[in-house]
Amino acid sequence: MKIPEKYQPTIKEIKFILRKVKDSPLSLAGTAIVAAFIIIAIFAPILAPPQSYDPYIIPSDPTLGYKLEPSPPSPRHPFGTTRLQLDLYYGCIWGTRWAFQIALEVITATVAIGIILGMIAGYYGGIIDEILMRFTDIILAFPGLILAMTLVTVLTQINWKTIDAVLLSIILIGWPGYTRLIRGEVLRVKNEDFIEAARASGASDLRIMFRHILPNTIYSVIIVASLDFGGVVLTTAALSFLGLGAPAGYADWGRIIYDSIGFVSGGLRWWWSWTIPGVFIVLFVLGWSLLGDALRDVLDPLYRRK
Amino acid sequence: MGLKEYIIRRIILLIPVALGVVVLIFALLQVVPPERRVILYLTGNPREMKPETIRAYIHQYGLDQPVWIQFAIWLDQLIHGNFGFSEYFGEPVLDGLLARAPATIEIVLYAAPIIILVGIWAGINAAVHRDKPFDHASRVLSVLGTSMPSFFFGILLSAIFIATLKWTGPGRLTFRLDAQLSTLRGLGQWHDYTKLLTIDALLNGRIDYFIDALKHLVLPVTVLVFINTATLVRVARSSMLEALSKTYIIAARAKGLSQKEVIYKHARRNALIPVVTLSGLIVGGMLTGLIITETVFLFPGIGHWAATAAQHFDVPVVAAYAMFSAVIFVLANLIVDVLYAYIDPRIRLG
Amino acid sequence: MEKAVSDEIIRVEDLYLNFYTYEGIVKALDGVSLNIKRGEILGVVGETGCGKSVTSLSILKIIVPPGKIEGGRVKFNVKGKSYNILDLNEPTMARVRGRYISMVFQEPRAALNPVYSVGDQIGEVFYTHRKEEIIKAVIEQLSREFERSTGLKRRVCRLYLSLYETMLKNPKSLRVRLASKIPILRRFQNLMKKEIRKRTVELLKILRIPDPERVVDMYPHELSGGMAQRCVIAMALVANPILLIADEPTTNLDVTVQAQILVLIRELQKKFGSTILYITHDLGVVAELCDRVAVMYAGNVVEIADVATLFKEPLHPYTQSLLESIPRPGKPFTSIPGVVPSLINPPPGCRFNERCKYAMDVCWKKKPELVDIGKEHHVACHLYSGGK
Repeated sequence: MKIPEKYQPTIKEIKFILRKVKDSPLSLAGTAIVAAFIIIAIFAPILAPPQSYDPYIIPSDPTLGYKLEPSPPSPRHPFGTTRLQLDLYYGCIWGTRWAFQIALEVITATVAIGIILGMIAGYYGGIIDEILMRFTDIILAFPGLILAMTLVTVLTQINWKTIDAVLLSIILIGWPGYTRLIRGEVLRVKNEDFIEAARASGASDLRIMFRHILPNTIYSVIIVASLDFGGVVLTTAALSFLGLGAPAGYADWGRIIYDSIGFVSGGLRWWWSWTIPGVFIVLFVLGWSLLGDALRDVLDPLYRRK
Repeated sequence: MGLKEYIIRRIILLIPVALGVVVLIFALLQVVPPERRVILYLTGNPREMKPETIRAYIHQYGLDQPVWIQFAIWLDQLIHGNFGFSEYFGEPVLDGLLARAPATIEIVLYAAPIIILVGIWAGINAAVHRDKPFDHASRVLSVLGTSMPSFFFGILLSAIFIATLKWTGPGRLTFRLDAQLSTLRGLGQWHDYTKLLTIDALLNGRIDYFIDALKHLVLPVTVLVFINTATLVRVARSSMLEALSKTYIIAARAKGLSQKEVIYKHARRNALIPVVTLSGLIVGGMLTGLIITETVFLFPGIGHWAATAAQHFDVPVVAAYAMFSAVIFVLANLIVDVLYAYIDPRIRLG
Repeated sequence: MEKAVSDEIIRVEDLYLNFYTYEGIVKALDGVSLNIKRGEILGVVGETGCGKSVTSLSILKIIVPPGKIEGGRVKFNVKGKSYNILDLNEPTMARVRGRYISMVFQEPRAALNPVYSVGDQIGEVFYTHRKEEIIKAVIEQLSREFERSTGLKRRVCRLYLSLYETMLKNPKSLRVRLASKIPILRRFQNLMKKEIRKRTVELLKILRIPDPERVVDMYPHELSGGMAQRCVIAMALVANPILLIADEPTTNLDVTVQAQILVLIRELQKKFGSTILYITHDLGVVAELCDRVAVMYAGNVVEIADVATLFKEPLHPYTQSLLESIPRPGKPFTSIPGVVPSLINPPPGCRFNERCKYAMDVCWKKKPELVDIGKEHHVACHLYSGGK
């Protein structure tokens, strides 16, 4: 059975979205920033050719020796170097790719879990819903990255690789949010007439859930997910900054700052070693925030339109 | 339902969550093998113990027993204040927590009121002067505040104010004064009334300590404030804008009330209601932010304690901090919910 | 400000108002003219969006952004003088609103602030507009108390008396403002609050609200629609205004409650002698309640006449269609063909031209003026104003 017309985006609405994005300077800025980062991530191997088996290992420059002190920006090292002469340009470029990789992995997992559990909780209600809600309550009782930190600490005790532990932890603290979001949306849409109609025409529960309810919850998921790109990267960076994330010498913005922490005491003397990766983080999160806000402005009226 | 019933109902709902928190941590801890895990029950350093002693402890605390018995024993230990021993710090976990709590409390004491007052003030004024310079400025700042990682901001301030301008330094006190402090204590010239340095300094009549402690608090508090005020400003602003668009605002003007009265007496109180609920989340944000901020400024509080422990894989400390944070967060949300019910007569009188 | 003319309280002349929105400039009021005579109940009818509410808010000079007055005058005649409301500044208007002109809104529970009790909100009007009277009453009470009491009580009375007397003479006095902040001293204000509460309860009784002592402390969401509306009306009547604007006060209420409120309004008008501007889209209410009626369409007043005349001899095509479309048993449903024109791009000439069955060439070229046909029956239509 076809989704009723008024709920289906048409070409006209896509054009409307594009026009609205064009009109707001902040939305444009956000889109531009995100687009730039996407390009950097895709073209990383060309922009900064990898020099070892794992492209995420930042190469250091033998010609400068293994000096501890960072070298300032120069034609060979556009962003300068940090401790042990690791090239910052390389680190930041591949850091972009790394950020996207982590964010995509985490968000795909949390959204998928959220959709499945949220759908079940919202659609069937009853005791399943209650139990799931208690679970999310418990996980949400831990502020921010504290639970992630705990899990990483525990898992590394049994010799997990920190990166894997970080991934798992962030997924663990992320899925309750999406579950609740989708559950809320499902509850909202569940009682609409067209769902009744679908049921009356004999559609199975699964079909109703995925062909009818899901498309109507998509908009809010998109908005939250785009804000989440920034959020996940912030959390990863924070964990890396605490030394709990990527291993040493890895192209992770937070890790680069961790490796450069000693040079902060030089004030602005070695500014590039910690400022540049920091700016990358800020811009990345900012871009996704603005994009998320723009999407919200655009999709909200569409989405509330009945 | 009246206020009392509401409070009781919320507290009752809280119990399964609190229990769940403890269960979750316990589950996570089960991942660690018993030889390492036994440290959660010890009051002394396992390094200094013979293997037989450790095995005896494993047996005593039931780590070789089924899971539910272990949980009961562990819970019992928690209630009696035994959170285990910290290998890295070489002290019982509870002692470590209590020793470092005052430093953190001091930061929060200064940061929280500023966050709440500034956030609400900025948000409301941004709404009242919509689209004017103040509004744009505060929106830019709040977007920055949410995008900036706290450690980056902290490092930035550190580089400028500590390394370059040398106005202040890491920790709670300048090294010289800190060293002097133990001597003073020994001589009975310094009493730790509250363990909060700024207050104690005043009570002990030492202005030099007061100023020094205050200077060391400026940067950590600034970082916390900047990051956490951002969300508050956004929520206060949109809440106020919504309140200002309501019919009763026009009705109030039609009664002959001045613009100021209409804004501050009628709109603001309505706008504050959803803002109050957000304050609970701010507490959560601070608990997380403390870990990083204290680390950046080497401030000896519980955040730094937990971060260092995590870096050295000291499980008992991290687990303790996690449970502690969860409990505080849940309590904060409870208080906020009750406050919300109290302020909004629609909920109070149902 | 000029000398007042005749028996008119309000005279709106050629009022133009635009809303500057993202979609374009909405020309909401296109030269609205009407007058309100002392002691009458003037009805204003029209469809949603025709500008009736905006006109009434403009009389109170409450212009909600993104609106802006583009021209015209709103003459207000009071105490023998005539003022243009649009020229008055905010502080002066704040003295007019609620005191000389007040308003009752469509959705009563929306017009009340949910976090304050109705007593507080009604009391607010007492405090704003009848403060002197209240203070004098309190002073009188205090004086009597002073005579009778001795010792500490006497001294407290004297202190309070001096505070209130200062309040009366110099409302912004520093002394009084300080006193109202100091914890125990600020109790002196309680006397005023009690007096206000007493009068509020009396007012609620006049409005036939049962159990007023209890209602006074209730919150808007605890009241039924009818009760809430009575409270809003009470709020509007506190300062005994010359003009009461009622913007569809019964639209959102049950029919039975509606009838009660209408009866109440008529009674109050007789009792307080107020003039009423009654906005509605319900012709039935107009027939029952009003003396004269103005018909609005798409930002213009198209016809004004006394009620009997309008119903017997409607002149404007729109009015005629309106009356015709009132459902009657035995008559098939009719409606006016077409839709209200866009106010962002209104048609040239008369705004009703697209839907008018008598439309002539001139109706598309020139906007008809409101013309007096005789016996104070005004029409804005080329059929009657000698169009070419």
